[in-house]
Amino acid sequence: MKRWIERWNAYWFPETTTRELCLSRIVVVAAQLLLFPPVLEKHINYLTKNSEFIDPQVIISAIAAVFPRETVFTPSVFTTLYWVTFVAGLLTLVGLFTRPSAFVFALCNWIFVAHEYSYGDRHHGEALFCILLMCYAFSPSGDSYSIDALLRRWRSRRAGVPVEGPRRTDTAMWPLKFVHVLLAMTYFSTGASKLIAGGPSWMNGYTLQLYTFNDALNRGMPFGIWLAQQHALAIALSIFTILFETFFFVSVLLPWTAPLFFIVGIFFHLSLYMAGGHDFFQHIVLLFVLLLFLAPAWWRAWLNKYLAILSARWRRQEQAQQPV
Amino acid sequence: MREPKTIISIAIILVILLHAAPLLYRAERKTMWPFLDWAMYKDSRPAGPIRAYKKHITGITARGQRESVTTDLTGVSITSFNMLYLQPMWTRDSSAARQLFDRLNRVREDPFVELRLESETYTVTDSGVVREDNPVITYRADAAAPQ
Repeated sequence: MKRWIERWNAYWFPETTTRELCLSRIVVVAAQLLLFPPVLEKHINYLTKNSEFIDPQVIISAIAAVFPRETVFTPSVFTTLYWVTFVAGLLTLVGLFTRPSAFVFALCNWIFVAHEYSYGDRHHGEALFCILLMCYAFSPSGDSYSIDALLRRWRSRRAGVPVEGPRRTDTAMWPLKFVHVLLAMTYFSTGASKLIAGGPSWMNGYTLQLYTFNDALNRGMPFGIWLAQQHALAIALSIFTILFETFFFVSVLLPWTAPLFFIVGIFFHLSLYMAGGHDFFQHIVLLFVLLLFLAPAWWRAWLNKYLAILSARWRRQEQAQQPV
Repeated sequence: MREPKTIISIAIILVILLHAAPLLYRAERKTMWPFLDWAMYKDSRPAGPIRAYKKHITGITARGQRESVTTDLTGVSITSFNMLYLQPMWTRDSSAARQLFDRLNRVREDPFVELRLESETYTVTDSGVVREDNPVITYRADAAAPQ
């Protein structure tokens, strides 16, 4: 039991600086503010044209159980909520009162998404992204690269206390590792369900062609319409899809494979969008963030090597230009 | 107070287990966002023609105006729109059309009196994509059956 606890702690709570977590906070929150903000007009349209929900999400049911629908689920309340979300997002981005701001930002986004999906619709793109947003509220996500950090250093200097270097902690990596594990779980779930429900004939080419043709036609994706006519390519892509989804979890067990899975995953989702209009842009951002910040050693090593080569080249050029 | 790592560990396990809930409880499958079942596009299709359909509803008002009936106009999501109205009306379910009339005309000064479901069939062939226009299915607000 003790060995399992040690292994658990070694995986989830390695001692690191908070830099990667805080940089990921900036990227993720900026993406949510700029690329994936709630569309207020859509929510107001739902509110004005529906007197009741259709299959309300648990979060919405919980709110409606406490506050009557006609008092909370109104255009004016949602407009206020929209601006609260925006301000909380800005505060989280710059890292002022980071953790409370992150909590409010995440919670407001959860309410908006849950509301949108309380009228009979439901999609998957936002789920893991919103979970990560909430994780920032419960981790030292404002410890570095934040106004909170600057204020702490200023207060220390004023008090004559020597300013500390970057803080090392064992609770900085768990949010990124958590979203990595959730991605692995969800990819495995979707891959396995294809094999269980569809069997090997999911990879017969016709399945992918039919799904792609229907989505591409109705969403106006010319690449998808072309792809739906390529039977052999559809077979190959079906096999690739099953392999990628079912084996993504290997990136958790063998960390050195993770960058490859993340890069392939980014292209996978880009091609899903081009083929069928499936907008998993939040997953693209998550994979990009994991690629940069979960295990940055791989690209730092490459960058250092490249900079060393460049530096050596410049020195040689300078020496060649010096008069004899 | 429990150590933070213990609380975080409990939360991690709880969230992972919550992802199993939509798999185990069918009724909750649709309503537990962000804890979802991830079984999208799971069904396979047998060998056969690659065919898809485009469907669209146009409404004609009492004053003769033509207007596209979209999800924005109805105030429902695309999935609900397809499930509640488009698909049933395509199979000539006049009760779905009546419900759509009721929904659209709730607060309209110029109510819709006719809904026309236009559709095309697209089939992949060796020489490319072939389009066929299907007969228009017309529903009148005062009529019992589609035409």
